Amino acid sequence: MSILVRRSNLIVPAVQSRMVSRSWMHHADAVTIDLQDGTPAAELAQVRKNLRQSVALAGKGGAQVFVRVNAEFVYADSDAVVGPGLTGIVLPGVESANQVEEAGAMLADLEKIHGVPRGSLEITPSIESAAGVWHVREIITASDRVKQIVIDEAALAASLGITQSSEHDAFVFARGRLCIEATAAGVQPIAVADPMGVQTGQLSHEGMAQIATDARNLGFKGMVCGHPSWIVPVNEAYTPAESLVDYYTQVREVFAQALAAGTAAAPFAGRMIDVPVDEWAKDVLAMSAACAARDEEKRTAFVAAEVALDPTVPLIG
Amino acid sequence: MATTPRRLKRSGLTMPIVTPRFINNAWHRGCDFINMDLEDSVPPDLKDVARNLVRESIPVVNKGGADAVCRINHDLMEADLNAVIWPGLMQVNYPKAEYRHEIERIDAIITRLEAERGIRPGTVEIGANIETAVGVANAYEIVTASPRVREFGGAAGYDMSRDLGVEMFVGFDQFVYGKGEVELAARAAGREPHASPFMPNITGSVSDPDRAFAEADAARKCGFRIGGGLHPAVVEPQIRGFAASGDEISDALWVLQEYRKLAHSGETWVQVDVSSVDREESPRPMAADSYLGRHRVIDRYEAAKAEELLQWQALCRERDQEKAEAVDRVRAAETMESPS
Repeated sequence: MSILVRRSNLIVPAVQSRMVSRSWMHHADAVTIDLQDGTPAAELAQVRKNLRQSVALAGKGGAQVFVRVNAEFVYADSDAVVGPGLTGIVLPGVESANQVEEAGAMLADLEKIHGVPRGSLEITPSIESAAGVWHVREIITASDRVKQIVIDEAALAASLGITQSSEHDAFVFARGRLCIEATAAGVQPIAVADPMGVQTGQLSHEGMAQIATDARNLGFKGMVCGHPSWIVPVNEAYTPAESLVDYYTQVREVFAQALAAGTAAAPFAGRMIDVPVDEWAKDVLAMSAACAARDEEKRTAFVAAEVALDPTVPLIG
Repeated sequence: MATTPRRLKRSGLTMPIVTPRFINNAWHRGCDFINMDLEDSVPPDLKDVARNLVRESIPVVNKGGADAVCRINHDLMEADLNAVIWPGLMQVNYPKAEYRHEIERIDAIITRLEAERGIRPGTVEIGANIETAVGVANAYEIVTASPRVREFGGAAGYDMSRDLGVEMFVGFDQFVYGKGEVELAARAAGREPHASPFMPNITGSVSDPDRAFAEADAARKCGFRIGGGLHPAVVEPQIRGFAASGDEISDALWVLQEYRKLAHSGETWVQVDVSSVDREESPRPMAADSYLGRHRVIDRYEAAKAEELLQWQALCRERDQEKAEAVDRVRAAETMESPS
């Protein structure tokens, strides 16, 4: 089974054409062009007109491209963007399976209209309220288009009257429930980088790497990044480190030797190696290979885009 | 189905059934149970051999008074059950339990085998181990699937970490939600939760006695009563950790004494200045510095906790006595066989 490697997802406001035009340069696995936040109502129509071009720009470095639609204008926003190069939509404020089902039916129509392969577009529900957390199982399983689900902690905090602080973690339950229910359904849970650390401003590389590693160790498979500087540490945190790859390579060797000697339990470096440890070692090595393949794919696209870049044309739109 | 008395499971060793030196020495380790493993510690090509060793191993592992328990394979459930349900086996552990119908099926098979093999109906417990996200999501359906599921836990450990894609030993509780769900399901269903509070462990050591004691002590204080491990060095510290200390027993007796006085006073609670209690007296409360202040409130909740502690201590004593007698019988038989 192929592994979906979507470690970092850079979110950029659709209205900020400079950010959109540069979004491919930051090595994100995915870019989400946001129609919801920051787009003045008066400019929405114009922004929609440029959307397909924005998708093409955002994907130049090999990133998969999403559009976060407005909850109130799911059809109009989607109609403006469905086409080649779009991986899917982010559906904000999802509270019920019905919303996902409706969006799925709508995407099926738009796929037909715009000549996109049937069933290919993804829906990433964004959980932003208590009702969303409570109904998460129905939401996740409402459509095969759901491959990832995001918990938007800033939105959740706002809807619950929570003041986020690094001293008190208000989302132990919500995050845990999302990770368990998503994993149970074979869907990837995605965190939002900034609120996980409850810090404002630009984080250090190490700071972001720690936040991302902690999130990975809760079961998340990637993070939405609100700032380009977060992408590299997030990618690193979700890619098995070289030391880990070395360790699990040794684990596999020790276990193979134990099997040959007639046991499936062997001591190694103070720990006990048995079947699940060996299985996990296989997973880590497979993930490492999948990340390397994804990085290579992006590198190829990135180099091609750089070559095509005409230095006389400024990136500022 | 007949009810059976509560079996204590403070300490136990899980060991591959295919390693004779582990099985042959298990009886004198002092465990409450011995878990003969057919699953993760047994190589795939030895699964058939392994399951056929269980019947003869039951009287070997339980002769020191430990309960004989067997962990079967999820994917070989029927063949394993058929080979392991024999008189003397107290529990079958079913790994990676995910759905109610799995437990119902196991219950039906055990019920048939108990009848066929002369085992008192309802004897064999099912340990439904939760080791995946699906299992956590279906926890309540699983725990209520059979009255044979008398204790319930999991949602942590290597299989769970693999399913979630997280590293073990990261220094924080990556399993807190799942453990909470499973404990809640167990308690809501009136079953004994098999869990432990989080204690950072970044070494992953399975043989550290101090750690084993600290974990068992913390588990007991959080209302859990079940232990188990992989290394003989953790057995005794677990038994000790799950036991109330002398000071705690004295404290419980003192609480009940004070509560009896209260019962005749017409009040529902009283505050006692423990610093004024004669430290030479017995029973006496825990020293003042064990509490946040000099005053102890005595009420029906404190009395209920004290009563539970004393009942638990009596069960522990009884179980330890039972095991000691079993060991004595083995020693006596050995002496008879080889008079010097």
